[in-house]
Amino acid sequence: MRYVDAGYIIALSVLFVYALSLIVRRRRGERALLVAERDLEAPVPGVTVSGVPVPEGASGADEQLGSR
Amino acid sequence: MTAQPRWVRIVGALAVVSSAATVWLALWVTPPDKVQGNLVRLVYLHPPIAWVAIYLAFGLAALSSLLYLWRRTRSLFWDRVAAAAVEVGVVFNALTLVTGSIWGRPSWGVWWTWDARLTSTALLLILFLGYMALRRVPADPEIRARRCAVAALVAFVDVPIVHFSVVWWQTLHQGATVLNANLSPTIHGSMAWTLLLGFIAFTLMFVWMVAVRYRVEVLSDRIGDEELEVSLAERWAEGDQAEPVAAGTGNGNGTSGPGQPFVAEPSGSGR
Repeated sequence: MRYVDAGYIIALSVLFVYALSLIVRRRRGERALLVAERDLEAPVPGVTVSGVPVPEGASGADEQLGSR
Repeated sequence: MTAQPRWVRIVGALAVVSSAATVWLALWVTPPDKVQGNLVRLVYLHPPIAWVAIYLAFGLAALSSLLYLWRRTRSLFWDRVAAAAVEVGVVFNALTLVTGSIWGRPSWGVWWTWDARLTSTALLLILFLGYMALRRVPADPEIRARRCAVAALVAFVDVPIVHFSVVWWQTLHQGATVLNANLSPTIHGSMAWTLLLGFIAFTLMFVWMVAVRYRVEVLSDRIGDEELEVSLAERWAEGDQAEPVAAGTGNGNGTSGPGQPFVAEPSGSGR
């Protein structure tokens, strides 16, 4: 039976670890997307397109960072 | 951002339950074989894994690649499905070789032999590992998708060779038990039902894995796009900030380039 046991243990363990890795990768991806979307919504701190410096706290970016 | 659909979770749960039932039936309920003894219990594991790898995963990869290459159905959706199917297929293909080797050692006396079935299956793994390597080569998504679709179709040529290897050449590996020429399975009773359940369990597992892996692929593409947009916004913002110093005039109307939509103009800025 040791060959049979070895076959089942190896196959099911590999599939379990792979399934777990898929879940982790998906969750990591969802979190990274959320962060990327926030970065996109938040203005670059202290800078506007027109080049006018924005006072600290007025950009909204600090609030975004603080909530992460 | 949308969560994983409900059906994926249902398929995942069904895969866990059916796999557990298969293992229970395979190891504790079904009788040992007259010739192989307890080694026959590997029949509920090795063929279903091979079925998923060789026929389902690589078949789906080839079909998706074909649909991508066909102009009427060309969509990155098919490219992502192919990528997901190949990765899952590679895992199952590697397990096919490992479980086959574990079965071969007590049956044939060797872990590995350059048998037609074994060699063509190993070649299949190498070909699809090549496909995965090709996906990692930096390129435009459309160009990458086209390259990979062609690679998947080329690799898929090995699948019929794997299937018919036991017919075309004299091999140590036994012939087809279920998918034989007469389509009449040559096993009976509780063994046949357990084997059928094994096929269903691993098929459900495959469907769940491809669905989750597809979602990972979509997320990865979207993150790439978002990061690119953030980088562009930063670049444009830097450019606008540096311009007044360098040129002394500036672009005060805020319409200087594609960075504009990404940076909010403060209220009352004199527009």
